[in-house]
Amino acid sequence: MQQAGSSASETEVTWEDQQNINKFGRLNNRLHEVEDEIKIAKETNESLEDAGNELILTDEDTVRFQIGEVFAHVPKEEVESRIEEMTEKTSKNLVKLEEEKESIVAQMAALKKILYGKFKDSINLEED
Amino acid sequence: MSTSASLTERRGIPAASFVEDVQTYLSQLNLDVNSALAFLQERLQQYRVVEMKLLAQQRDLQAKIPDIEKCLDVVATLQSKKGTGEELIADFEVSEGIYSRACIEEAESVCLWLGANVMLDYSCEEATVLLEKNLENAKASLEVLLADLQFLRDQVTITQVTIARVYNWDVHQRRLRQAVATPSES
Repeated sequence: MQQAGSSASETEVTWEDQQNINKFGRLNNRLHEVEDEIKIAKETNESLEDAGNELILTDEDTVRFQIGEVFAHVPKEEVESRIEEMTEKTSKNLVKLEEEKESIVAQMAALKKILYGKFKDSINLEED
Repeated sequence: MSTSASLTERRGIPAASFVEDVQTYLSQLNLDVNSALAFLQERLQQYRVVEMKLLAQQRDLQAKIPDIEKCLDVVATLQSKKGTGEELIADFEVSEGIYSRACIEEAESVCLWLGANVMLDYSCEEATVLLEKNLENAKASLEVLLADLQFLRDQVTITQVTIARVYNWDVHQRRLRQAVATPSES
């Protein structure tokens, strides 16, 4: 705040500027949420892969597969196809999340350019 | 976008009015700088309190949705076993760390916990319909909640920027007064 006071003329903040700042804030929040979701999706994929590997190693015909809160006895082949299904779903979701993240980062970069362009040192848009 | 704040409030949350010009704002409120800053800071605090409440509600809903999806999964599994003559063998938790085996044959109906110590019997189809409705409601509530949070965070940002601008205006005014009081050396 001190820096803004030291500039010779006070840069006026218009409603458009305020809306850009608001948008930047919203995008930043969403970015953190998406990054968390990406982390969870990657972990889920890893767990599913581990499960798949365990399946290959096991010589049992029936596997205990968690449905809801219980472990149901499910034939191995069904478990394999269920895991495949879940992996595909998670991978698709992951791709969607990564795309969203890219779009958010691009929008934030564009807003930074506009806002720093007008306010220079008077504004700080960096992650602390 | 020449009009400021399109909403004056949203579901009980007052909108922060956008300040076009600090001087006009202060004279309109008929407050000196310090009182104005105190007022804005208090507003900010109130927003923070509401934010905490909404975040807690968001966490609850976000936990509820996967629970309902799990229930739907179980009902679907029971339903798929119907008519095949196969029984579903499931290991379930009796107590923490202790599991037992259950053999479920021809699930005619399921019991759904409705809350408030009430559990009702439903056919698999009825249960699916009820659970799907609950899921839809939960997802819709979450959407509204997220929009509320977005609105709230915008108002917080506007208030923070207003605080900075009032403060800077004050600093600027002091410098001007100082420049007038002490004639320039050059």
